[in-house]
Amino acid sequence: MSKSRAEKKQKEMLEILKKHGSRVYDELNHGSFPVFDVPSRSVSNIVYDEKLRQYILGDSSAQRSSKNTAQVRSFTQLMWLAFFANRLTQEKKSSTLRDVYYSSQAFAVDFKNQAESNGIIEDLEAVLTKPREDMHIFPEERSSIFGDLDIEYTVPGYEGKRMNLANHPDGYAIGPSLTSAELVDTSAELVIAIEKGGLFTRFVEEQVDKKFKSIIVDTGGQAARSTRTLLKRLHDELSLPVIILTDGDVYGEHIAMVIKSGSANAAHLRELTVPDAKWVGVWATDIERFELPTIPMTESDIKRCQDLKKDPRYSHGIWRKELDTFLKIKRKAELEAFSKYGLTNITDRYLPQKIELARSL
Amino acid sequence: MSAERFNQISPSEFFYRNRDLAGFSNPTRSLYTAVREFVENSLDACDQKGILPDVKLVIRAEDDTKQDPRTYTLTVHDNGPGIAEEHVPLAFGTVLYGSKFGLKQARGMFGLGATMAILYGQITTNKPVKVYSSTDGDVAHSFEILLDIQKNKPVIQKKSKKKVKKRGLVVSISLEGDYSKAGSKIRDYVYQTSLITPYASITFEDPKDNKFVYKRILKTMPEPPTIINPHPHGVDVETIRRMIVQSRRDNISTYADAVPLLHKALRLKEEDPSHDAISERASRRWGRLKPEVRTAVAITDALKCNRAYLQDITIEDIDLDAGMIHYYDNNVSQSRTAPLQGDGIFYSHIKNLVAGEQLHSFLTDRFQRIGPKTAQNFIKFAGFKSEQHIGLLDNKDLVKLSDSLQTYEDFLAPNPSCLAPLGESPLEQGMKKFFEPDFLEVIQRGASAYSGFPFIIEMGIAYGGEIQSRGIKTYRFANRIPLLYDEGSDVVLKVVNDIDWGRYKVKHDAPMVIASHVCSTRIPYKTVGKENVADRPEIERELKLAVQFLARRLSSYMSRRGKAEEAKKRANLYAKYIPLISQFCTELAGRKVEPKYTQMLRVGDNV
Repeated sequence: MSKSRAEKKQKEMLEILKKHGSRVYDELNHGSFPVFDVPSRSVSNIVYDEKLRQYILGDSSAQRSSKNTAQVRSFTQLMWLAFFANRLTQEKKSSTLRDVYYSSQAFAVDFKNQAESNGIIEDLEAVLTKPREDMHIFPEERSSIFGDLDIEYTVPGYEGKRMNLANHPDGYAIGPSLTSAELVDTSAELVIAIEKGGLFTRFVEEQVDKKFKSIIVDTGGQAARSTRTLLKRLHDELSLPVIILTDGDVYGEHIAMVIKSGSANAAHLRELTVPDAKWVGVWATDIERFELPTIPMTESDIKRCQDLKKDPRYSHGIWRKELDTFLKIKRKAELEAFSKYGLTNITDRYLPQKIELARSL
Repeated sequence: MSAERFNQISPSEFFYRNRDLAGFSNPTRSLYTAVREFVENSLDACDQKGILPDVKLVIRAEDDTKQDPRTYTLTVHDNGPGIAEEHVPLAFGTVLYGSKFGLKQARGMFGLGATMAILYGQITTNKPVKVYSSTDGDVAHSFEILLDIQKNKPVIQKKSKKKVKKRGLVVSISLEGDYSKAGSKIRDYVYQTSLITPYASITFEDPKDNKFVYKRILKTMPEPPTIINPHPHGVDVETIRRMIVQSRRDNISTYADAVPLLHKALRLKEEDPSHDAISERASRRWGRLKPEVRTAVAITDALKCNRAYLQDITIEDIDLDAGMIHYYDNNVSQSRTAPLQGDGIFYSHIKNLVAGEQLHSFLTDRFQRIGPKTAQNFIKFAGFKSEQHIGLLDNKDLVKLSDSLQTYEDFLAPNPSCLAPLGESPLEQGMKKFFEPDFLEVIQRGASAYSGFPFIIEMGIAYGGEIQSRGIKTYRFANRIPLLYDEGSDVVLKVVNDIDWGRYKVKHDAPMVIASHVCSTRIPYKTVGKENVADRPEIERELKLAVQFLARRLSSYMSRRGKAEEAKKRANLYAKYIPLISQFCTELAGRKVEPKYTQMLRVGDNV
């Protein structure tokens, strides 16, 4: 990979933004009120695409018109965001959701609250069919990565600078500069995504990266979009298989599923999924097999199980089988449950079995 | 052995004991009620004589250092016709018990309330009422009068006269009151009275030296009402009984006109003939005497009195069964009784008087909407005979007559000429001046009737402009009196609240005023306090039609206004956002010059 990837992305974004800007400009110049077609993100317009193996938006869209008095305000907000994204992209500057909300005030475009500004960001994503990360807008929360991976920065001031991600034992935060960096080289053969920061540290300490030739990623619970983007790039660009380790409960199962096939919230975006990623545990069936200490499932755990059973992605295979088992045993276990058999039990015994299993899947 | 003693009490005493009923229950309410009674008397007096009223109300604390409740002096000045010198003591020093059956819309009845206020003032402060009256605008007679409660008699304490420049009446009483509590109600009362009486000038000076002046808004007075007979649907047994007594009294009282004619009719030469001489001469000329002269003679004979005495008495009733004549002796201000002898032509004349007129003429003469034909049909319907004498009807007959009058369906609806609505134009001018609204519409509904009493609804709606209130404020009036208390249970409020204002594009916090005026010879008040109108279906229906009519007008105004506001809002939004959109897309498109969008801002104006 060369550094042209980032530049290509930037060019593409600038072009699409200019296209919309020019259209609005021309319409105003001809004395007509410009409109945007915003794909509808309502539940009724979210459908599951078997081929893409993710949720996507259907065909229905709503017109947002600058002529309509009820819409001219949000039209202006959308226009401003495009304008702001254009500056960010052009100048290669990064922003966060919160930063966007506060920046609007400098341009006399008022958002009632953060939620409204977040909504407009999702609207623009849907209009451009590009994730906000491409517009240099990132979430606040950061997850981490550790392992033998050489990257080359593309952000201003660091262009061309290289870094090996095994140099710092706390791992590296997955932020804008890492997400946009070129992935140059690695000796790893595997990516292990793990739900919890505590286990991530343990894995680094136990040198899981070396023992299993792996890159370790802490998803920090439900994986943020920048984390999912990076996982996808590790898989696509470096041809690394991705395995996912979560708590042994229904929420853990869903964290894995979102990495694999996206969330309904991001049905308007298509570059966030790792369809080949494999969830290797902790499964409901592991609970009995490894005799893990458990706690009972709560009412809401059970309800969540039943809700997920209606989701087409959970209608078959291991996804269905594990849900049914959770519902049957009505108990759940955390990753830390392996500590019962010693602090390194999870890396010494469990992980090797699961990696072996993943190869056979 | 003990015998219970039954004492008759005078009307004054009755009211003294039951003053709560008349609105004199506590110092707050009493002060308010007293104000009302005097102001309404003044306005009524002016209305009756077609005088544009100038009324001044002054309330002063007699001792400023004391705390409420304390003694106040309440004075009301008017420019009305005044009261003749000889009638002042009776008008202000007795509780009158009249028996008027004529129907006419007026604010109060017979000035009873004012007398109650005087009575209340006297029992709380032991001070006399002061009256200054000038009927000619030249001389005013002033009185200070106390009321002898047990005897129901005026006691004049001082009397004098002086030259004045204006006609009118000033009444001043001392009374215990609580202005700190009653003040807001009194100010509301004066304010609202001015609204419904736009042809009057009303001034109010309160104990804190504040002066509230409401100037006359228009110089034309509404048509005065005429006095008319009651409608047959509107009378009950007791009313019919009283009407019969009144008919008898009217018949008998014709003798008074005949007294000066006695000499001529009887060809008497003596200056002051004895009753024997009169009786003797009358017996001989009986056939040639007119009925009223015969009555005069018969009474002279019965009372064994001379001609002069006859002029000083009023016959109250004649009771044939007991053989008594009851009469009031004006010389001694006292009721008296004399025996009635049972023989001769004089007695049969009196007997005929008492038997009274025939049913047919009683009906046609004393009711509205009954002509000779209707009377005949009704008498047949009720199972009576036309020539029956009303004085001879027994109790059972009276009940039957009353029931039949109320159930007979072929009487025309009550005659509304006894009503005095304010009129659409005066109401409109009053509301315009008071509220300075953006929208104003008034309506006077046609006359309607409930239970034989005619009524007319007048109503106005004002919206926007200088109106500051949030939500609908309803002013209720009945016979030109503002109703201030007991708002919740009033039929007008019920009707206004039942309207789905949203359908008329009126928001619940709209700056809006409704003035509703119910005029009737008898307002169906729910309580003795006379503050809320009962929900008679007929009245409720008329109120509803009036509100709906006005609401429809308001609705089309709101539509026009809504469109204009929408256009303005649109223009404002465009002016704010289009330049921003222009600025952002210019940079996005990589252009230097902004698009020509100015003509788009004008689009907002034309939508």
